Amino acid sequence: MSLKSQYNLKSPGVKRLMREACELADPTEEYFATPLEDNLFEWHFTVRGPPNTEFEDGVYHGRILLPSEYPMQPPNIILLTPNGRFEINKKICLSISGHHPESWQPSWSIRTALLALIAFMPTSAAGTIGSLEYTKEERQALAKKSKSWECTICGRICDKLSQGATSDPLTTEESSMLNHIALKAEEDSKTNDSVRHRTAGASVGEVPEAFVNSIPQSNKDRLWEMVMWVLLGMIVLLIARRFFFL
Amino acid sequence: MGDEQESEPVIGTGNQDELIMQQQRQIEREISESTALVGELEPIVSLNSEYSNDNVYLEKIKDLSSKYKHIRRTRPDGNCFFRAFTYAMIEQMLENSNELEQFIKLIECSKMGLLRLGFPEFTVDDFYETFMDVLKRVRDIKNVNDAKKELHTLFNEQGYSDYMVVYLRLLTSGHLQRDQEFYSCFIEGGRTVVDFCHQEVEPMYKESDHIHIMAACAALETGVRVVYMDRGSSKSNIEHDLPEGTAPSVHLLYRPGHYDILYL
Repeated sequence: MSLKSQYNLKSPGVKRLMREACELADPTEEYFATPLEDNLFEWHFTVRGPPNTEFEDGVYHGRILLPSEYPMQPPNIILLTPNGRFEINKKICLSISGHHPESWQPSWSIRTALLALIAFMPTSAAGTIGSLEYTKEERQALAKKSKSWECTICGRICDKLSQGATSDPLTTEESSMLNHIALKAEEDSKTNDSVRHRTAGASVGEVPEAFVNSIPQSNKDRLWEMVMWVLLGMIVLLIARRFFFL
Repeated sequence: MGDEQESEPVIGTGNQDELIMQQQRQIEREISESTALVGELEPIVSLNSEYSNDNVYLEKIKDLSSKYKHIRRTRPDGNCFFRAFTYAMIEQMLENSNELEQFIKLIECSKMGLLRLGFPEFTVDDFYETFMDVLKRVRDIKNVNDAKKELHTLFNEQGYSDYMVVYLRLLTSGHLQRDQEFYSCFIEGGRTVVDFCHQEVEPMYKESDHIHIMAACAALETGVRVVYMDRGSSKSNIEHDLPEGTAPSVHLLYRPGHYDILYL
């Protein structure tokens, strides 16, 4: 493999990625991932939509970008196949849901990240950035279409997964992790929260659209409120002046 | 005008986030450029320059220098306790090959313990092997000074150094989980020990508290003395042996938020 000559094999991070590449070399029914020929820090992956969900028939392809500090820092996932759950061409990173967004653990791996991605697909988008709230029918239609989707580098993605070879069973650590994990787009968490509140009511349509519209709106509201207060203050002042100076 | 401030990050979402992240990276870069992961030996009085106008601290540094000769600074990146502790322990064992052999055996057994608790074998293996690799590399150097130099070099290579930290974090987490009943009363906020481990022990860059130190000591079967230096009113520094009553093999200096290594 040409990769071997290119990287410092003594670096634990490189060694780790080589090992992960070996571990994931054989496609399973649920997922397959492999580094690009010329870049150990970028991988392409294919996952099957989880059974008994609207993603059931879908096969989804994407990129995994590994930071130079991997595994100390989490991998970033970018989906390329339109799926109706995650925006495409946008970085999603792995984190624990809720109050501890920075809790990636170095003992997780690319496999963990892919399992989390699959497990997370059927969960509610709940207005988080990078999430899409398409209807079930739209998602099903996209799932059907996904089978003919092609990657410019990897070719037809639906040939990438094996038929019948099941993946390793989950470890206890992995299954407990899957209960906690969340995926979110790379964004400031504070912003994320305020956006979540605003778009919680939006049932259909793309989150970013609602999100973009809601921002100037809320600022306008605030502006009007201020203008009203200023006007009110002026009126009071004028009335007071009448009283005292007349 | 609290409202306006709150809405600020929302206005220019993309740009603002980008800026915040840039600034964060900048700060991180500055920290890493200004302090080595593990620094050279320095005399205790070198601390004076950090507190030139602070009489409380100057007094305490005097007290510290009456007991300790040297300090070795570590990078304040949230991993400082784990890094300082592992480094100081191995460094000290280089003078005593028996202790080092025993320690290697302890680490050899530790992996099974982690796997039994359900940690993923594939990645635990990865950290374990690097930890062992470092131990064996310094063991195989006959000259103690050369071995210490090698240890210093390895601990200043981000890859190795962070891997050592991760493995000790895993061992600490393992110990906490094995002794859940005991540790659960030290954990605040209604979290279980397992939650605490996932949130505060296993992730990198999470700072260490008393409970981390207790568990890390227990996992490595050793004791540590922590010397607390802060702006408190007492003239001397407060010393704390963990676990209580054990003879400390490692001495650490704690200043709010950070640990460095001390030498007698």
